[in-house]
Amino acid sequence: MTAVIETKSLSKWYGNVLGLSDVSLEIESGITGLLGPNGAGKSTFMKLVTGQMKPNIGRVTVAGQDVWNNFRLFSRIGFCPEQDAFYEDVTGWEFLTGLLRLAGYSGAEAAKRAARALEIVELTQDKDRKIRSYSRGMRQRVKFAQAVAHDPDIIILDEPLSGLDPLGKRRLIRLVKDFQSEGKTIIVSSHVLPEIEAMTSRIVMIHQGKILAQGDIHSIRDLIESYPHMISLKCGDARAVAARFVHDASILKMSFGPDGRSLVVETYKRDAFFSRLQAVVLEDGIEVEELTSPDDNLQAVFDYLVVK
Amino acid sequence: MKPNTNPGPATLWMSFRRVFSMFFFLGRKTGKSRVFLLLGLIPVATAVMARIFMTGRAEDVVAVFNEILIVFYVTFDIVILSLFYGTSIVAEETEGRTLSYLTTRPLAKTGIFLGKYAAYVTLMFLMVSASLFFSFFIMNGHRFRDPALYLTFLRYAGALGLGIIAYTALFAFLGTFLKRAILVGLLFGFGWENVVQYFPGSTQRLSLVHYMKSLMPRRAAGGPLSILLFRLEPSTPAVAVLMLIVIAAVFLALACWLFRTKEYLYEE
Amino acid sequence: MATVREKGYYHWDGKLVERRLPWLPITRTGIMLAFKKRGFRFLFAGAFLPGIVFLGIIYISENLESFQAMVRGSDRLINITPGSFKTFLTFPPVLFLMIAMMVFAGSGLIADDLKHNSLQIYFSRPLRKKDYLLGKMAVVFFFILAVTLVPGLLVYIFKLIFAGSFKFFLSYPWLVLSIVGFSAFLAVFFAFYTLLLSSLSKNSRYVMVLVFMIYLFSDVLFGILQSIFRTPYMALFSIRANIDQVGALVFAQKPSHPVPVLWSGLILGGICALSALVLNRKIRGVEVIR
Repeated sequence: MTAVIETKSLSKWYGNVLGLSDVSLEIESGITGLLGPNGAGKSTFMKLVTGQMKPNIGRVTVAGQDVWNNFRLFSRIGFCPEQDAFYEDVTGWEFLTGLLRLAGYSGAEAAKRAARALEIVELTQDKDRKIRSYSRGMRQRVKFAQAVAHDPDIIILDEPLSGLDPLGKRRLIRLVKDFQSEGKTIIVSSHVLPEIEAMTSRIVMIHQGKILAQGDIHSIRDLIESYPHMISLKCGDARAVAARFVHDASILKMSFGPDGRSLVVETYKRDAFFSRLQAVVLEDGIEVEELTSPDDNLQAVFDYLVVK
Repeated sequence: MKPNTNPGPATLWMSFRRVFSMFFFLGRKTGKSRVFLLLGLIPVATAVMARIFMTGRAEDVVAVFNEILIVFYVTFDIVILSLFYGTSIVAEETEGRTLSYLTTRPLAKTGIFLGKYAAYVTLMFLMVSASLFFSFFIMNGHRFRDPALYLTFLRYAGALGLGIIAYTALFAFLGTFLKRAILVGLLFGFGWENVVQYFPGSTQRLSLVHYMKSLMPRRAAGGPLSILLFRLEPSTPAVAVLMLIVIAAVFLALACWLFRTKEYLYEE
Repeated sequence: MATVREKGYYHWDGKLVERRLPWLPITRTGIMLAFKKRGFRFLFAGAFLPGIVFLGIIYISENLESFQAMVRGSDRLINITPGSFKTFLTFPPVLFLMIAMMVFAGSGLIADDLKHNSLQIYFSRPLRKKDYLLGKMAVVFFFILAVTLVPGLLVYIFKLIFAGSFKFFLSYPWLVLSIVGFSAFLAVFFAFYTLLLSSLSKNSRYVMVLVFMIYLFSDVLFGILQSIFRTPYMALFSIRANIDQVGALVFAQKPSHPVPVLWSGLILGGICALSALVLNRKIRGVEVIR
C-alpha cells in the first residue's frame, strides 16, 4: 500500500528546544494513532503535516507533494486543532458555513454540508447559538465538524476527544471508525492510551520528539525483548499448574494471587509457554477460567518504552 | 477511496474574494465595530451643534468643519481605526489561535492576507465616509445646489480612503512580524506623526500625515488647526496621492511576503 | 509520642493564617509581568527623562551665573516656583508617557484575567473583590508614582541641596504635600481609568486602543467644541485639561482655563465613580453568558 503521508528525517526546533528529531514515517490509509505524553511532539508533528510549520530538516509530503505553502492540498485535508479556539461572535452554523464557503462551496452546498456535519456531531439543535455559549464538549464537537464537513480524504485530529464526556467519546470514536471504512486516512493523537486503543491498533509512539515505536500494538509488544511477557491464568488449582512449569528454564517468575486461584507467569518465550500450557491443561483436566496477557496492551508497551 | 468532490484549490483572486466575504461579515458582527461606528457619530453630533449654535457665522462653520476634518478624521479617527484593524489582520488570528482554520483551507496565503485587509479597509471606509457624509452635508446644508460641494465631498472621502489604505497597510505590515505591533503603531501614529510634521523641509515627508494634509483644505482658523498646519510645506495633490498609493503597495507587498513565509506559533 | 502517618493524603490540622495584605501578591505579579516586556522597560526608563530634564533646569537655576551666557534674556524660564512643579507633573508629554505606560502595563490587568477565566481561580482563594481590585490598582499606583512622586520629591530635595539653604522650603512649606497629593491623585485617577477600560473587554489589544483613544479623543473633542461654542467650559471635555485644572488648584496656581476647578474635579471624580460601579459589576467569580 502506498503511503499517503510520508516524512523523511523530519526535525523541528523551537529556538534551542527540540520539538521533533529525525522522524521518518510512512502513514497509509486507515487510522493511525499518534501516542505520547504531553510535550512529546505530537502537536508539532501534526502542525508540520498540516503545513502550519516548516521543518528545519527533512521533508513531509502528503499525497506525494510538499505541504509547506501548498494550499492546493488542503481541499483534501481536514484538520481538527488541539486549541479550544473559535471566532466567538458567530453561531455554530455561521462558523461551519463560513469555513465551507472558504473551501469554495456555494452557499447552498455549504448549507447542505454544514447541516450534515452538525447532524453527525449532534449539534443541529444548537446550531443557531453563539459558539461562546457552547459547553466544552459542544465546542469540541463543532471543531470536529469543521474538520470533516468538506469530506476530506485525509483527516488530522489533534486530541479530538479532549473535553468530551464518555458518551461523546464513544460516539466520536465510532465516527472515526466509520471514516476508516470509507477509505480515508486518519491520524489521531492523544495522550490517553485507552482512547487510542479503542480506535486503532496501528500506532506511532512518540516521546521527547523521537519515534519510539510504530506498527501494530501487539507486534511492538512482541519486539520488546528486554521485558518478559506476563501471562495471567485463573483456574481451580493454580499451584498445581505452577508445579508443572517450575523446572521450565524459560519461565522467569511465577506469582500467585491472594485467593490462590490465579497465577501470573513471566516468560521470554510466550508462544512456547502457551503450547505447553495447552498440553498440561488437557493432560491434567484443568478447568481454566481465565487466560490473559496483562502487558499485551498499549499502557504496558508505553510504560516499558517510556517510563522504565 | 471515493473520488474527491471538493471544489478544489482557489486562485489568488478566488482566495481573496472568499476571505473578503467572510471577514466583511465577521467584522460587522463584532462589538468593537459598533464602538468605532459610535465614535463616527460624534463629529455628526458636533456638526449638528455647529449648525444650531453658529447661525450667521458661515465662515466660522467652514473653519469648524475643516477642523473636524483634520483634527478628528485625519490625525485621529483614521489612524486609530487603521491601527486597530490593520494590526488585527494577523494578531487576532494568532492571539485567538484561529489562524489554522484559514491556513488549512485551500486558499493562497497572500489571498487570505489581502482578503482580510480589503474587508477591514472596506469596513473602515464605510464607517468613516458615512460619518463624513452626514457631518459634511449638515455643515454645508445651505449649499446643496452647488455641484462643487459634491466634488469636494468626494475629494475628502477619497483622501480619507487613501489614508485608510496607506495607514492600514503600514500597520498590517507591523502586525505580521511584531508581537506588540499595536504599541509600536501607537508610538508611530500619535508620537512620530505628531512630532515630525513640525520639522521644516523634507523631513516632514517621512510621515503619512503630511500627504494627508496636502490633500486637505488649508484655510486655517485659530485653535488647534492653525498649529497643525503651522509648518506644513505641502506636496502637490498628485504627489500626495501617488505617495500614499506607493506606501500602501510597498507595505502590502512586504506584509504578504512575510505572511507567506513566516511561521506563526501560538503563545503557550 | 511519635506518630506514624501513611504516605498518602492526610488532613492538615494546622491553623489557617489570614494574610494581612492579601492583595500584595497580585500587585507583585502585575509589576513583574510588566517588566518582563522589553519594550516596557525602555518606556519606563524613558519616562524618567522629563524628571532628569527638570533636575537639569533646577541645577541651572541655582548656578545661573555659570550659565549666564547660555540663558541671556531667559530669566523667567529658570525661576523655580511651585508652578514649575505643577508644569512638570501636568506637562502633556509627561501625561502622554503615563498613558503609554498604562497601555503597556495596565491594559491587560483585568482583560487578560477575563480572557483566561482566571477570576474563578482568584476567588477560590481567600480573596475578596476589593483585595483583587486593590491589588490591580496598586500596579498602576506603582508605575505612576514612580514617574511622578519619586522624581518630584527627588527634584525638590536636589533643589534644596543645590540652593544650599532651606529658603525654598520656607517660602513654600506646603509644596511637598502638593507634590505627594497631586501624584496620589494622578495615580488614583489613572488606576480607575485604566481598570475601567481593561474590564470592558477580554481583548487586551482592543483595550490598549481604548486607553489611548479615549484620552486623545477627549482633547480632540475639546478643540472642536471650543471652536463652535467659543467658551472655556469646553475644557471640561478634555481629560488632560481637567487634570491640568486640578494641578493648578493643588499647586496654588492660576488655572489655565477660567472654569471652576471644582467642576474639573467632579468630572474626574465622576469617571472614578463610574469605574467603581462598572468594576463592581464586572468582577465576579462566575461569568454569565447569555
